[in-house]
Amino acid sequence: MIETIDLEKCTGCGICDLVCPADVIHMEAAPAQSEIAGLTQVKLLPVIKFREHCITCFSCEIFCPERIVDVHPSVKNRPRPW
Amino acid sequence: MTRFEGTLVDTDVLVIGAGAGGLLAALSAKRHGPPGTRVTLVDSWLIGRTGHTAFSNAWKIVVDPDDDIDGILREIVAGNDGIADQILVREVLENSYARLKDFEAIGMTFGRDEHGRYKRRPTRGLDLARVMYPEGGGLEFAWKLRLALEREGVQLLDRIFITGLCGGPGGRITGATGIHSRTGEFHAIKARATIVATNAITFRSGFVRDITGTGTLLAYRAGATLRNAEFSYVRPGTPKFYFEGITFAIQEGARWTNAKGEPFMRAYEPDWADEADVPRIARAMAIEQEKGNAPLYLDMSAIPEGMRDEFIQSKVRWMDNFFRKLGDEAKTDMFGKTPYYALNQMTKMGIRTGADCRSDVPGLLAAGLAQAGCANHFAGFHIGLCVGNGFIAGRSAIEDLDRLPAPQLDAAEVRALHAETFVPLKAEAQAESDRILRDLQAVMFAYDTGILKREDRLQGAARRVAALDEQFKQIAAPHTHELVRLKETEAMLLAARFILGASLFRTESRLSHFREDYEARDDKNWLVWVDVSETGNGPAFTKTPVPTPLCSVEPITRRPSRLAPRGAEVASI
Repeated sequence: MIETIDLEKCTGCGICDLVCPADVIHMEAAPAQSEIAGLTQVKLLPVIKFREHCITCFSCEIFCPERIVDVHPSVKNRPRPW
Repeated sequence: MTRFEGTLVDTDVLVIGAGAGGLLAALSAKRHGPPGTRVTLVDSWLIGRTGHTAFSNAWKIVVDPDDDIDGILREIVAGNDGIADQILVREVLENSYARLKDFEAIGMTFGRDEHGRYKRRPTRGLDLARVMYPEGGGLEFAWKLRLALEREGVQLLDRIFITGLCGGPGGRITGATGIHSRTGEFHAIKARATIVATNAITFRSGFVRDITGTGTLLAYRAGATLRNAEFSYVRPGTPKFYFEGITFAIQEGARWTNAKGEPFMRAYEPDWADEADVPRIARAMAIEQEKGNAPLYLDMSAIPEGMRDEFIQSKVRWMDNFFRKLGDEAKTDMFGKTPYYALNQMTKMGIRTGADCRSDVPGLLAAGLAQAGCANHFAGFHIGLCVGNGFIAGRSAIEDLDRLPAPQLDAAEVRALHAETFVPLKAEAQAESDRILRDLQAVMFAYDTGILKREDRLQGAARRVAALDEQFKQIAAPHTHELVRLKETEAMLLAARFILGASLFRTESRLSHFREDYEARDDKNWLVWVDVSETGNGPAFTKTPVPTPLCSVEPITRRPSRLAPRGAEVASI
């Protein structure tokens, strides 16, 4: 299941959102330090929106160009037959 | 009430679902069509990075021109206990080598030995068939096909979740409606031919494979007949890691054992023992569990030390991450003692078609596991069949363009489908479909319902599913993410009804369908497909005899054991 994305190092490219087959990660506008006083600057950053629906496919981790996504290999949400 | 607005797309061939079946159907339609033919492929997520295929090794049965194709057909039919479309399977096998060449032409590479011959392996439950996979496994397979489709001018619509088919029932299918799975934007797609390739239905059980196969149920609602609902693919798994290499581990000496340390497969399958196919292993595991002999293990201690590392690495990137991140834990677990259990990975229910992949409904075709060509696919014939029937479906769709008149979209019908799509969307709602899904899994995955079936227990399960249906009617979705999941849950509830109904209907045991109250296989009465279709008063289950034009359906008496370790990859061709 996805654990963390290091937002300090994130460039906001959005690949993690694009390749997620479970709609877990959404790019959302976050406030950033403004270059021009008086204007609110925003930056698109990934948000782990539906962690409970992560299927542990590692796609976000594999395709992140900055290698800043961490997926834990244990699968807590897997059903059992009894 | 959501406003009626959105996007209208006009195309010649619409393919729904971008696994192996859909990718091949789109490629085939584009290549068979005259210049200018418009082909559109849609998937709920990113085409080439989603679906069952993308997260598999993409093993495929490939029949070399020198192979014994009739022998392979015969063992696949026998391994299906007769429930296979022989004409379709033969054509798929016949064309598998040409497809391999297609894949190489679009940049895939397949392993070769030092003499330049393809590396192929035997697979579980089959003696003559050989399987092979492309470098990089399913992720590379699906992505290279996406790039090829882009080059050839196929329109790719990512993140479109299909919610309805236009035209049925009783009429000719004229396209589909859907929503953008992130924004919720409504789409109507007008098409002259529509190919459903949305996988088999699952109950979100697969490891890393969150596929729900909703298209099959949309086809049912549009008038198509479904079949093989009583059969399933139940796979041994662990709660901790996903291990794709069980087949090969067994070939190298791994054995199933119970809590007492007894290797138990020989008692259930005297001929095949541990090399039996998945449904037989699942049944044995369930019985061992019921006897109190769990936990069950895959004892890999007989695998030579030098070979062990091969099993905790993979050329498939996501799987390699699994093993790498588990580190020593993977090593201990895999070669130590990790309990295994059998878990339902998917149903085998698909759309009834002819060997040409046309359904009973004009303008509607099926490919991939949404097409009911086989009830058991083996390791390597899941994708092998999808590649083959996708190719056939694309070709048939192009033939239909000339046979069928140009379709008209009915504005009133599209408006009605739009309204139906958004009915459950309510901003103030709580997301509750997961709760119903968990209860549904508990009903359908129970060993005494899903694997070891009996009339009274199946009826009890049907009552519990009906109760869940009632609960489902009360829930709504606060946002698009939940709306998609809710519609997938709705499809799973319908699938559960068909699975239980077909399981009650087939009063014999065959393949993955084990009835404790009808233990024997009964070819006199049950060499038939169980079909389910809508009568207007609910679903009706009927029998259709399985034709046997090419080979016998008798079980094959087992050949000499090949349980002795046989070395790494077997080179042939």
